[in-house]
Amino acid sequence: MKSRASKIWLAALGLTIAATALYADLRKGDYSPAQLGILQQPSPLPLAPDATYQIPPYPVPTPDLAPGDGVQEVRTYCNTCHSPRYITMQPPLPAATWEAEVTKMNKAFGAGIPEDSTRKIIAYLKAHYTVDNRR
Amino acid sequence: MVKGLALAGGGIVAGRSTDLFATGPQQPSQLTPVEPFTGPGANPHWNSIGPYITEPQKVPLILLTDRPVQIETPRHYFNTPFTPNDAFYVRWHLEGIPNAVDLKTWKLHIEGQVENPLAFSLAELMRDFKPLSVAAVNQCSGNSRSRLQPRVPGAQWGNGAMGNAMWTGVRLRELLDAARVRKSSSQVQLQGLETGQGPKGLGSNLFLKSLDLSDPVLDDCLVAYLMNGEPLPVLNGFPLRLVVPGYFATYWTKCLTWIRVLDAPDDNFWMKTAYRVPDTPRGNTTPEEVKAGLLKTVPISRFPVRSFLVSPDGSSKIPAGMTITLRGIAFSGYGRIAHVEISNDGTKTWTKARLGEDYGPYSFRTWEHSWTPPASGRYTLAVRATDDKSNVQPNEPVWNPGGYLWNQIERQEIVVGEAG
Repeated sequence: MKSRASKIWLAALGLTIAATALYADLRKGDYSPAQLGILQQPSPLPLAPDATYQIPPYPVPTPDLAPGDGVQEVRTYCNTCHSPRYITMQPPLPAATWEAEVTKMNKAFGAGIPEDSTRKIIAYLKAHYTVDNRR
Repeated sequence: MVKGLALAGGGIVAGRSTDLFATGPQQPSQLTPVEPFTGPGANPHWNSIGPYITEPQKVPLILLTDRPVQIETPRHYFNTPFTPNDAFYVRWHLEGIPNAVDLKTWKLHIEGQVENPLAFSLAELMRDFKPLSVAAVNQCSGNSRSRLQPRVPGAQWGNGAMGNAMWTGVRLRELLDAARVRKSSSQVQLQGLETGQGPKGLGSNLFLKSLDLSDPVLDDCLVAYLMNGEPLPVLNGFPLRLVVPGYFATYWTKCLTWIRVLDAPDDNFWMKTAYRVPDTPRGNTTPEEVKAGLLKTVPISRFPVRSFLVSPDGSSKIPAGMTITLRGIAFSGYGRIAHVEISNDGTKTWTKARLGEDYGPYSFRTWEHSWTPPASGRYTLAVRATDDKSNVQPNEPVWNPGGYLWNQIERQEIVVGEAG
């Protein structure tokens, strides 16, 4: 009885060693608590068989703009026609390019940003979104 | 007792993870997001780096901007010749994008320099005209903009601002002929339902594009109400979209509602200032030439030949000696794909890939190639397409201030591991 038990025990140990040798670098069960990678499913709209083809609103998740002088002007004026993602999406750009972009908004697109606010917006973009200072 | 439990716990953790048995280098066991921005170097990723977002009628796609909407198609959706509608990329210019269209009142108008102005409901377009289908690639002018060096401002697309669909609808020519275009007219202008908050007459108020009436591409244009056999998603232009086979998507007006014949060339912002490329080979120039201000530009038109390796995507290792299938797509705005070649030695030598089914000259053409990496190491795979006009992808990058026309040979590093 005793010898039978120890035989089973030895066999189990042998199997364990064999398995360990076979899967020397096997890794398992690595979980990490995280919100990264999760996305809620939007529910569909109820439909009526009429002539109107409606879809739900377009989601606008607010990106983080760098805090600093001028961020309020950016939120007020730039946000009229586009979300601040138009800024945060860009690679680090030369200061002159940022100035040209704001000038384009006023001149080509008629944004009508007051002169003082225009200066503040340009200074803000130059202070946070160039190669020297983008974080 | 407490000590024993702690020891047992430690044993389980060690056995479950790797401490006892691991022989290779430890991998960092963390979930980390992709970097929040790329630059000043080129974006090293195949796609752009934004988060995933679920827009109406779409699966989660990669967010560039949310208002107006610009979302990119992830790489793996290009494993098939036709891109699913719900994964098809989206690019709008102005924030006034429709959320609802009432087909009782909506009509397509053909107006301007015509003898017989017309308006058609969707029901009339479907009933009174013979439907035609064409497989055609829709590619954003700025696709791959994030590759340019130096970087240029604009939507920082990776390679996923493209898609291929079977478009079905009415020939644009038939509609123009029915309206009887006046002789000596110059262009046909296209306007959709998209509007912006800018002052009237500026590019921030309306997105307008025009094509020359003398351009042969007009004979190929469709006014499409079906995309891959389904109504178009609103974000892709429901109820009607202009299809301009071979041309960049800027001309493929979404929610097309006005077809307007002009008696003079369109000088609105989106023709005169935006979407223009240097009148040079490949549209190539330098920042210095731009500064000198001597550059002549022309409206962008056809897209150059391109090809992509879709899978494997380099995110996993391949065991040495395993014969795997390389898969990808190729297309050109100038003609049918003639051949696709693969290099596994960093573009020194090339071998031809097998081409998939031919859906016509304007479609994605899939390709496959078997590859057996002989030994472990890092391999640079490259793919190069040639079209039937003998246009071939170059090894040199392109640069212009708009970030358009990128078609350099694509490379993918593949890590091959030992197979034991």
